[in-house]
Amino acid sequence: MSSLLYGLITGFLFGFLLQKARVIRYDKQLGALRLLDMTIVKFMLTSVMVGMVGVYLLQDLGLAELSIKSMVAGPVIIGGLLFGLGWGLLGYCPGTSAGALGEGRVDAFWGILGMVTGAALFAEAYPWLLRTVYTWGDLGKLTVPQVLGVNHWLVIPVFIIGVVFLLRWLEKRGL
Amino acid sequence: MKQNGAWSPYLAGGLAGLLGVLSVLLAGQFFGASTSFVRTAGMIEQLLGPERVAEMDYFVKVVPGIDWQWMFVFGIFLGSLVAALASGTFRLQTVPDMWQRRFGHTPVKRAVVAFAGGVVAMFGARLADG
Repeated sequence: MSSLLYGLITGFLFGFLLQKARVIRYDKQLGALRLLDMTIVKFMLTSVMVGMVGVYLLQDLGLAELSIKSMVAGPVIIGGLLFGLGWGLLGYCPGTSAGALGEGRVDAFWGILGMVTGAALFAEAYPWLLRTVYTWGDLGKLTVPQVLGVNHWLVIPVFIIGVVFLLRWLEKRGL
Repeated sequence: MKQNGAWSPYLAGGLAGLLGVLSVLLAGQFFGASTSFVRTAGMIEQLLGPERVAEMDYFVKVVPGIDWQWMFVFGIFLGSLVAALASGTFRLQTVPDMWQRRFGHTPVKRAVVAFAGGVVAMFGARLADG
């Protein structure tokens, strides 16, 4: 029960922040895909930087465990391409579609119906996908520090410096 | 802060990152949304044929029902609704501005494309386990 309450409160705060930053709108999402407005990229990269430091810190302190997904090249590449195609058509991603509906964007409702349908179709295709796409390029659970063979506290600052340069460049270009 | 009370994406993004870390610490939960669409599809299919759902591999793996993440997604809806109403930016709209400029006021076409996009996006998201 408390887990459900945590979910509701966390979602509420997240939805509040997403709406305040104006990042759940179709115009902002398509703006990013059309390289016209990088607001959502700024939001996401800042989130990633904070989350990356925080979660690795929790792990090092023994307070949390990383949730690492398997790197299977076939489904990741094909799934990523399909997701991008669908995202461009819908203009909302799964989480933000709920927020967009909250802002009064009725078209997000049709997107949510589509996504529930897509999930149902995926469940139908799953046994076949397991025999085919999921066997293509299974590399197991990987992280960047692991692949490079270095400590994560070497990778994290390098990533942050790279992101800061990218964000500064975007600001200079007025994006 | 720029344009009609919008928060800086750096501030809001940073706070969202902090929220994500707190969630991992306090509830042991990482942010995600797309699994909830699978659980929702499963719950709807259970109404139509529970025996069939019980036998489907994917619904054995992702059990239909309401969990932390489902409430998280529902919370996003509520949080956005409250923020939009409080700041006067709530707007009932069937066609987004950018779509309207390019394709005119075409709500049916927009609904069809949104639905189709949703189908493809979710299939891809589940495939990539995102």
